[in-house]
Amino acid sequence: MPAVEPPAVADPAFVASPHPNIFFTGKGGVGKTTCACATAVLLARAGRKVLLVSTDPASNLDQVLGVSLGLEPVAIADVPGLSAMNLDPERAAAQYRERIVGPARGVLPESLVRSMEEQLSGACTVEIAAFDLFAGILAGETRPADVETVIFDTAPTGHTLRLLKLPAAWSDYLENNTTGNTCLGPLQGLKEKQQLYAEAVRVLAHPDLSEVILVSRPQAASLREAERTRRELADLGISRLHLVVNGLLPHGADPVAVSWTGRAAEAIANMAPQLASLPRTTVALNASAFQGIAALAGFFSSPVIAVPSDPIPYNPPLAASWDKLVDDLASIPCGMIMTMGKGGVGKTILAAKIAEALASRGIPVVLATTDPASHAAEACANRSIEVVSIDAAAETAAYREEVLASAGAGLDPEGRALLDEDLRSPCTEEIAVFRAFARIVQRGVGALVVCDTAPTGHTLLLLDATQAYHRELGRQTTTGVPECVLQLLPRLRDPAFNRVLIVTLPEATPVQEAGALEQDLARAGIRPHAWIINQALGLTRTLDPLLRAKAGQEDRWLRDVLVRPGRAYAIPWREDYLY
Amino acid sequence: MKTITVFDKPMCCSSGACGPSVDPVLAIFADDLRWLAAQGIQVKRHNPAQDASAFMCDAIILAAMKEVGEAALPVIVVDGQERSRQSYPARAEMAAWLGLTDASDPLTPPKSACCGTSGCC
Repeated sequence: MPAVEPPAVADPAFVASPHPNIFFTGKGGVGKTTCACATAVLLARAGRKVLLVSTDPASNLDQVLGVSLGLEPVAIADVPGLSAMNLDPERAAAQYRERIVGPARGVLPESLVRSMEEQLSGACTVEIAAFDLFAGILAGETRPADVETVIFDTAPTGHTLRLLKLPAAWSDYLENNTTGNTCLGPLQGLKEKQQLYAEAVRVLAHPDLSEVILVSRPQAASLREAERTRRELADLGISRLHLVVNGLLPHGADPVAVSWTGRAAEAIANMAPQLASLPRTTVALNASAFQGIAALAGFFSSPVIAVPSDPIPYNPPLAASWDKLVDDLASIPCGMIMTMGKGGVGKTILAAKIAEALASRGIPVVLATTDPASHAAEACANRSIEVVSIDAAAETAAYREEVLASAGAGLDPEGRALLDEDLRSPCTEEIAVFRAFARIVQRGVGALVVCDTAPTGHTLLLLDATQAYHRELGRQTTTGVPECVLQLLPRLRDPAFNRVLIVTLPEATPVQEAGALEQDLARAGIRPHAWIINQALGLTRTLDPLLRAKAGQEDRWLRDVLVRPGRAYAIPWREDYLY
Repeated sequence: MKTITVFDKPMCCSSGACGPSVDPVLAIFADDLRWLAAQGIQVKRHNPAQDASAFMCDAIILAAMKEVGEAALPVIVVDGQERSRQSYPARAEMAAWLGLTDASDPLTPPKSACCGTSGCC
C-alpha cells in the first residue's frame, strides 16, 4: 500500500504569497467554503484587506460567518480587515430587473411593466445578472478599491466552470454581433460591458492576478473531478493552480478505518500525473467541526488530529433501512425518482444504486442526470441500464439546428444567418438544457426514471426556470412548444409521478441545507417523498477512535431528521458508496 | 435617411430565441428588418425588457400606451409617424411605407394586411 503523506504544518503557498484573486473550486462537500474562510482569516490576520465572495447559489457562507450576507460587502466583526458578500443569483436578478423596470413604473402601463418583469425572470436573466456582478468584482468598478485580495468560494465544479467560461463566451458573442441588436440589448449600449468582459478574460488567465485552488477529498471520484477541472481551466488559459487534499485520515485502528485510509492512499497514489505535479497542500481529517470563523486560522496547519481521549459510547438511533427504501420505491413502477441535496452527499451513487436495485426487480429503469459534472454512468455497475445525461454543448447544437429547421424554414440564407447569430448567444444553452430536462422527465411515462440532480442551488434555479417558462406558456400560444415542456411542471408537482428524495449526510451543514431545500421545493409546489441520511458512520459500528468520535456527532443530526414528519431512511457508511 | 422604429412587445430577446419556443413570425420579421437595412433604411428596434427608456421618451408610443395599453405592441413608426399596431407587418407593407419599390419576396407570406393605421382591426 502506498505511504500516506504527512499533513501540512506550514501555511500553503497561496496564503504565504497571495494573488489578488483566489478561487476555491471542487466537487460538492470537499470543504471549499472551509478552505476559503481559513484562507480569508489568515490573510486578514496578516494585515491584508480581504473580500470573501460566494458564487454558490446554495451558499452556506452566512452560517459559517454567522452574518447575513447580501449583494453588498459586509464587514466581519470577528476578523478585522475581512468583509464578505454573497452573489445570490436570484437577488442579483431582482436587482438587475429593478434597474430596468423601476424607472418605467408609473410611466408605462402596469400590465406592460408586469410583462417586462416576467421577461426578465427567465434563466438567462438570472445567469447574466449574477455573471455581471461577478465580472464587476473581478475586473470592474464594483471591486472595492481598498481590497487587496478577493477570495471566491464557488459552486460545485460544473457550474463554476460555466461561470469561468462566460467572460470569453459573452466577449465572443458581442464581438461577432453584426446587427447591432443583441440579446442583452442594443450593442451600442454595451460598450462598457464588452470592455468589462474582455478585462475579466484577461484577469482570469493572468498568472500574477488569479490563482485557482482545486479542493479535493482524498477519494478517487473527487480527484478525477479536480483533474477534469484542471484540464478545462487549461483550455481557458488558466494555469496558476494549487491542489488541496482535504480530510486525510493518516492511520486506521479498525477495519472500517483501515479501509478508509487504504482507499485514500490508493486514490492519492493514482491521481493523474498533471494533477500530482501541481503544488499541493494536505489537510488532516478533523473529528470536530471548527467552531467560529476565527478558529479556522489553524485549519491548514493543524498536524495533530483532535481525538477525544474518551470516545463517546455510541448507539445510533435507527437501523439501516436500504431494503425498506427499495420496497417503497418499487411500489410505483413508473414516473420519476429524483435525488436532491447539497453537493457531496452522495446523490449520484444513490441514484445509481437505486436504479440497479429496481432493475433487479424487473422494473424498466432509466438512470438520468441533470448535473453537468455527473459521473452517473461510471457509478452504475449494471451496464444494461440506460443512462441519460444532458450534454450541454450537444443539446445546444441540436436545439440550434431544430430552430433553424422550424422557425428558420421560411427564411432566405441571410435571414437564416441572422437567426443563427441570435442562437449563438450564450443564453441559448440555458434553454437547450431546460428542454433536455423536460425530455428526461417525459421518459417517466413508460419507465421509472431515477434522476440524479445537480447540487441544490442549480437544481432550484432549474425549477425556477420551469416555473417562469410555465407562466410564459400561459401567456402565449403553445403551438410549436413540445408536449414534454407543457407537461413538465404539472408532472414535477404530481406526487404520484415524481418522488423527490432529499439526500443528506448526518452533519450540520447538509441537514440545514436539506431543510432549506424542502422549503424551497414547497414554494415550487413540490413535496419530497422521503429523506435519506447517507453515509451514517455509526451504522458501521466502527471502533476506530476518530471515526467513533465523528459517529457520536452524527447522533443529533440523525434525530433531527427522524423527528420530521414523513419518511426517513438511513444508509450506513460504505467506502464504495462515497460519491 | 428614412427611419423605421419598432417598439416590440416585452421579449427576452428580439428573435424570440430565448423563449420556450421560437416564434417563426419573429424570425421572419428580423430578416425583413435586415433586408430594409440593406436597402439603406435606418432600423431601430426597442424591446421594453431591455431599454424601457426608449418607450418613456417617445410621445407616439406613450400615446399608444395610454390609449390601448400593452396590447398595442408591437408599434411600428416610420419617420415619426405611427404606421401599425398589434402585429408584425409583412416586408411588402413596410417597403410600401418606406417608398421602396422591389419588395417581391416569394418566401414572405403576406400577413395581417388589413392591420394598418386604418383601424379596421
